[in-house]
Amino acid sequence: EETGDDESYEYGKGDFTEHACRYCGVSNPACVVRCNVPSCRKWFCNSRGNTSGSHIVNHLVRAKHKEVCLHKDSPLGETILECYNCGCRNVFLLGFISAKTESVVVLLCREPCLSVNALKDMNWDLSQWCPLIDDRCFLQWLVKIPSEQEQLRARQISAQQINKVEELWKTNPDASLEDLEKPGVDDEPQPVALKYEDAYQYQNVFAPLIKLEADYDKMMKESQSKDNVTIRWDIGLNKKRIAYFVFPKEDNELRLVPGDELRLRYSGDAAHPAWQSVGHVIKLTAQEEVALELRASQGVPVDVNHGFSVDFVWKSTSFDRMQGAMKTFAVDETSVSGYIYHHLLGHEVEVQMVRNTLPRRFGAPGLPELNASQVFAVKSVLQKPISLIQGPPGTGKTVTSAAIVYHMAKQGQGQVLVCAPSNVAVDQLAEKISATGLKVVRLCAKSREAVSSPVEHLTLHYQVRHLDTSEKSELHKLQQLKDEQGELSSSDEKKYKALKRATEREISQSADVICCTCVGAGDPRLANFRFRQVLIDESTQATEPECLIPLVLGAKQVVLVGDHCQLGPVIMCKKAARAGLAQSLFERLVLLGVKPIRLQVQYRMHPSLSEFPSNSFYEGTLQNGVTINERQSSGIDFPWPVPNRPMFFYVQMGQEEISASGTSYLNRTEAANVEKIVTTFLRSGVVPSQIGVITPYEGQRAYIVNYMSRNGALRQQLYKEIEVASVDSFQGREKDYIILSCVRSNEHQGIGFLNDPRRLNVALTRARYGIVILGNPKVLSKQPLWNSLLTHYKEHECLVEGPLNNLKQSMVQFQKPKKIYN
Amino acid sequence: DDEVRVRQKAPEVDPLEEANFEQELKAVMQESMEQRRLELRGRPTLNMMIPMNVFEGPTKDHHGRGGESGDETLDEEAGGSKEVQVKVLVKRGNKQQTKQMLIPRDCSLVQSTKQKEAAELEE
Ligand SMILES: [Zn+2]
Ligand SMILES: [Zn+2]
Ligand SMILES: [Zn+2]
Repeated sequence: EETGDDESYEYGKGDFTEHACRYCGVSNPACVVRCNVPSCRKWFCNSRGNTSGSHIVNHLVRAKHKEVCLHKDSPLGETILECYNCGCRNVFLLGFISAKTESVVVLLCREPCLSVNALKDMNWDLSQWCPLIDDRCFLQWLVKIPSEQEQLRARQISAQQINKVEELWKTNPDASLEDLEKPGVDDEPQPVALKYEDAYQYQNVFAPLIKLEADYDKMMKESQSKDNVTIRWDIGLNKKRIAYFVFPKEDNELRLVPGDELRLRYSGDAAHPAWQSVGHVIKLTAQEEVALELRASQGVPVDVNHGFSVDFVWKSTSFDRMQGAMKTFAVDETSVSGYIYHHLLGHEVEVQMVRNTLPRRFGAPGLPELNASQVFAVKSVLQKPISLIQGPPGTGKTVTSAAIVYHMAKQGQGQVLVCAPSNVAVDQLAEKISATGLKVVRLCAKSREAVSSPVEHLTLHYQVRHLDTSEKSELHKLQQLKDEQGELSSSDEKKYKALKRATEREISQSADVICCTCVGAGDPRLANFRFRQVLIDESTQATEPECLIPLVLGAKQVVLVGDHCQLGPVIMCKKAARAGLAQSLFERLVLLGVKPIRLQVQYRMHPSLSEFPSNSFYEGTLQNGVTINERQSSGIDFPWPVPNRPMFFYVQMGQEEISASGTSYLNRTEAANVEKIVTTFLRSGVVPSQIGVITPYEGQRAYIVNYMSRNGALRQQLYKEIEVASVDSFQGREKDYIILSCVRSNEHQGIGFLNDPRRLNVALTRARYGIVILGNPKVLSKQPLWNSLLTHYKEHECLVEGPLNNLKQSMVQFQKPKKIYN
Repeated sequence: DDEVRVRQKAPEVDPLEEANFEQELKAVMQESMEQRRLELRGRPTLNMMIPMNVFEGPTKDHHGRGGESGDETLDEEAGGSKEVQVKVLVKRGNKQQTKQMLIPRDCSLVQSTKQKEAAELEE
């Protein structure tokens, strides 16, 4: 029942599309007429677009339909056009005549009424009969031509498309233009483009891709049932029942995240009836344990622990919201400003500046002082309707974004909307923005309200619970009752919901800034909010339709923050990825010639660590905001081959293997050496929380976790506290020491995941103090970028082999890199 | 304040498409005329039903939506207006109604009336 709101929410806002031109979407009542043929009844406008006749005339001619009706909100009101005298409704025969002396006009048909003798003596002037359809348009004073603006934002339809769709309507009167584009089941979808004629074409390209991804996601998740699951029962602070169980990741692709919905089932036994309940994942422990908060607390077989089954409950919400945003973008002219509309579609738009008085200082209270490139970014962003900020690793994206939001909020243009694709990024940003003293509301999905958050005090649900005024005492009372009893009577529940909604609204409206995920911006609780200024962080990790969700709430000024040199959005469906769904809006705008403002000073990496990424991914522009001294780890005695250069490439010759799941890889030699390096770090005085082990392969990740906990030379607990993760999941994060296990080691098969330069960039830029890379140079050197990395390490005498306490420079021969790579 | 200048190519109509469309349009016209003549064959000539009372002062119909606001008449009085106000006679079932509308001054419909008016004034 918690998602009830969402389902009743109408995408595309109202049905003003009912009388929209079926060709182009123009819906101004003064510009459209309805075809009056009973089997048709479609609306068309009186604009020509780039065809030789107006849309309505095109339709009537192509379909051989001949009667029309005006819109009820047009100047003449709902009127079927017909001969005043004989009632003839054939528009091709109708025309106006005027009275001889008065300003009165009337419709009269050419045959026979115009030639009726009786009229000739009367007050009507038949010599000036003026046909209703003139120059292949309806008379413009009767049915207006849509304005240039309206036409520009309409779908641009060609004569060929008109012919095709008219043909289609003969067999399927309800077909839409989108059906023309629909690919067959086995066809490759239409790939994304750089520019789009209009928002309908945009929707035609992206809607099928989102559908493909949604179908794949559904298929994959729903196939992930697990039997024989053992449960440990607990009760949460909110009195709700929590089930803990292990849901190993190794043998499935499924990655659970807090907020996901699972169904827990028990088939029953002699003492227990069959039982099932749905719940939300509220936590994932380091030990791969899932905490599931159940929705119903009654009848739970808490004295049973074994033999449960778990299914994934797939939800279409996020995909629905993307589709909804694309529809709104197409049909609602107020969804974004004209400038942004045309810009997003790649039309050539004359440069526009935002007229705002600039602040004297570009920093913001509560934030660190900004450096020159950050100040430049804030200043330029405030003056432009669309800007891109590229934040290479460790360059203070979040602080810069927070400063931008601070100044935007102070401009008094209404509330600012701040989004990012991931909850983690939203939380970080919300925290920083709140530090400037702005009033921030962090809107969480209802399914995530039980998930703990570092910015809990900013969340809407927390603020609702803790709003301390006497008028809210009624809500508090009901809340208390609900907490104690688990549920309320239906009348109380109604009252509770209404009060809660009103309070939510009040709190949200009084905020300066609303923070939520991109998908969260489609939450029904924001349906009536408008945001002129929108900032999206990590925008290079969102798909275009995802980015569109926060934008179509009225954006006039848009800031996209991200880094297209790091990993993009994760697309599961290969077909959709191939067609370009993995390209972010940020990237497309870069391709369209929008120059990103790059933040240039990095504060994360030891200067030796930033050198290669700066040269290889950022044209050498990355400057160091930290000195070697600031990244010197005092008291840590680790055998770096070159003192003051805390990095080395550890040559590994072990074989890769396919993991048990059959879908991933592992490398035992590398795993064993990872354990040795970790142990050496721990012995030298580094604590587990400072270390991160990353690898591109899930198989290896699981294997390392397992190997270390069984074979670690020190206390087991120490190894359990060390984070072992995929490279991809580590994007946006950092650790003092990073150990990268490359895994791939084979004669002929290539290096898979490692081929993507953006993944290498992410892997190399997570460490603050030091990095160790384990891999097979013979295999990796075939790829040009890895070849140059290996050469870089070799030149700095950091390419080594042998036991850790006696590392020697390796003389391993590299292979010639293949010439082409992207 | 949402002014935006989009640079775009002038819409180009394919001459072939245009010729093709013109032909089809003519065909529909032709067909309509012929169909009409067939329908009417054998029927008595219709009586002209346009009532004359519309010419006598303002109409009593106040339901017309367009063109009745003060602004638009003011426009006309300003003299520079390119549009003139006319009454359009329509039928609602059997009831007649007139609605005010603006018609471009250079429309042939209006011009003839204006010329006649001018001529009558001279007489
Ligand atoms: Zn029709
Ligand atoms: Zn149209
Ligand atoms: Zn007639």
